[in-house]
Amino acid sequence: MTVQDAPAVSSDVVAEMVRLYLVEKFYRDEAALLDAHNYPDWVELFTEDTRYFMPLRRTMTRRELDKEFTKPGEMAFFDDTKDHLRARARKFDSGTAWAEDPPSRTRHLISNVRVLDDDAVEMTVESYFHLYRTRLKSVEDSWIGRRLDLLRRTEAGLQIAKRTVYLDQTLLLSGNLSNFM
Amino acid sequence: MAPIASLEEISRLVRPEMGELDRRIFSDQSIFDLEMERIFHRAWLFLCHESQIPRRGDFFEAPMGREKVLVVRQRDKSIKALLNTCTHRGNAVCRAEEGNVRNFMCTYHGWTFGLDGQLVGVPGKEQFFGEDLTMDKHPLRQVAKLEMYKGFVFGTFDETAPPLEEFLGRTGRLGLDFLAARDVESVPGIQKYVINCNWKFTVDNVFDWYHPQITHMSALSTGMIPGSNLTEDNNGAKTADGKDLGIKWRPTDLDNIAVLGEYGHAIAGESRNAAAVAMYPGNEWRDRPEVIETLGPIGRNVAGHPNIFPTTWVTNGAQLCLRVPRSPNKTEIWWFSFREKNKTPEENAALLTRQIHVFGPAGVLEQEDGENWVQSTMQTRGEVSREVPQLLKMGIGRGKIIKEDGLARIEASTNEYAQMWTYVAWREWMLGRDWDELKANTTPRDQF
Repeated sequence: MTVQDAPAVSSDVVAEMVRLYLVEKFYRDEAALLDAHNYPDWVELFTEDTRYFMPLRRTMTRRELDKEFTKPGEMAFFDDTKDHLRARARKFDSGTAWAEDPPSRTRHLISNVRVLDDDAVEMTVESYFHLYRTRLKSVEDSWIGRRLDLLRRTEAGLQIAKRTVYLDQTLLLSGNLSNFM
Repeated sequence: MAPIASLEEISRLVRPEMGELDRRIFSDQSIFDLEMERIFHRAWLFLCHESQIPRRGDFFEAPMGREKVLVVRQRDKSIKALLNTCTHRGNAVCRAEEGNVRNFMCTYHGWTFGLDGQLVGVPGKEQFFGEDLTMDKHPLRQVAKLEMYKGFVFGTFDETAPPLEEFLGRTGRLGLDFLAARDVESVPGIQKYVINCNWKFTVDNVFDWYHPQITHMSALSTGMIPGSNLTEDNNGAKTADGKDLGIKWRPTDLDNIAVLGEYGHAIAGESRNAAAVAMYPGNEWRDRPEVIETLGPIGRNVAGHPNIFPTTWVTNGAQLCLRVPRSPNKTEIWWFSFREKNKTPEENAALLTRQIHVFGPAGVLEQEDGENWVQSTMQTRGEVSREVPQLLKMGIGRGKIIKEDGLARIEASTNEYAQMWTYVAWREWMLGRDWDELKANTTPRDQF
């Protein structure tokens, strides 16, 4: 294929590419903060009115799949306001959070980013994640799932106004959830 | 390691006179197998709360030892518990954790069972089986007995087990009353996770009020757990770099009550008086007149943690935690959460927030607990470390038992009575006693 054969790139496509680049950059920077255990700075990526929600998932038959995930107001693994996230960050940095001292080694891999909706102020963004963790010498955990974020354009740049984490496990196959997704 | 089987060997595993346990009980496969047979195959086990399955055809799959049972709301609104195994070739007849069905069809050959477990459909019955098969001889098997205490559904595989209320006794009933008296219904969603530890560490920890100020030190920084500045006494505890930890004892540590019950049930922790002085939140319901009446003059001052032997813990935060043994070093933790029917939506939302943030795998308390249980289990496997006795000495032997209002209690500062009581009862179950002997040998005397 020569340069002459390349399809014309419309300005719409360029705008979409730029938007996707900025969203993916935001997620790469977020992952770097998490994997460096820099929780105070990570919390600042969230808006003051944020909600960090990880519902429970249940093995259901296909005909009752609408009840697979619990809903807000029901039981969950996480249902955090920004104050809750700040409290968790303080706990990690207290010097006595034994479940993370020695700290876990984590790697957040974020992919399949899709902007599902955009009203110029807020975007609904879907991403897939793989969080790999080892603890001590022999604990190995791997969590894969889907995040649905509401990203808001603010003066501070993009911020997470809402995150819902849909984990691809029903019985949680790890001894705790002491890391964020 | 040779399997532990003889009665004499089992007797020596728990040594209350020395305040010691044999660590092999936390890792030995033959002991685990015996636990399945002598404890989990016999005891009344919590299955679910009736509000989880309100409509006809609602079911919830519950664990009983190595069995999976389907707790099913019947057409006449009663409840049955059916073994989730097809009576033809063993396949599970249901592979969902919960839901609503009209019947259970095995996906192997299509055998179909009604909500009551009766075999109602066999493809090709006339052409292939003819007289070889009698439909009414092959229903899904049921638990031997199923009974309910104030909405809490229990089952047992032992036909000779005493009635549920008798098994629970005053201690077990009081433990469940701490939930039932709040007039609760289930919050949808049971948290379930698996952790690499022996189930007994998770049970014994329920009564351990010596660990919070160290294990949960970091949780105080969240503001989600009430703290104190009452007294500081490190008594030699220092960090790896030689700094004083600055231990803050809980304001309730000097005023504890341990209630010891038949069959191994127990309740231990702070007294209501101490909790009131410390102004711990979430105990207000205890002061309602009808609750005072239900709990009784002694029970109303008990504010610690109940464990219904073997594995059902009731919390002050309106939750019930079931510990499900899977192998010597693998346990599932199932958290059932409740809301109070006579509270406002705002009050119940606050209760739910507390339930989500304190316990469970992301809870600010349980993350650290889990790390302890896993490491403690792992260290019981070495040829040398398993020979180091497990210590439960705090107060043991000097506890004066006061019997009043049908309850046997010890009043003391922080102690290890209820843990040791659980293991003493565990030993009686493991010795294979009949129900009368079991009750007699687990009835508290004057001193413990």
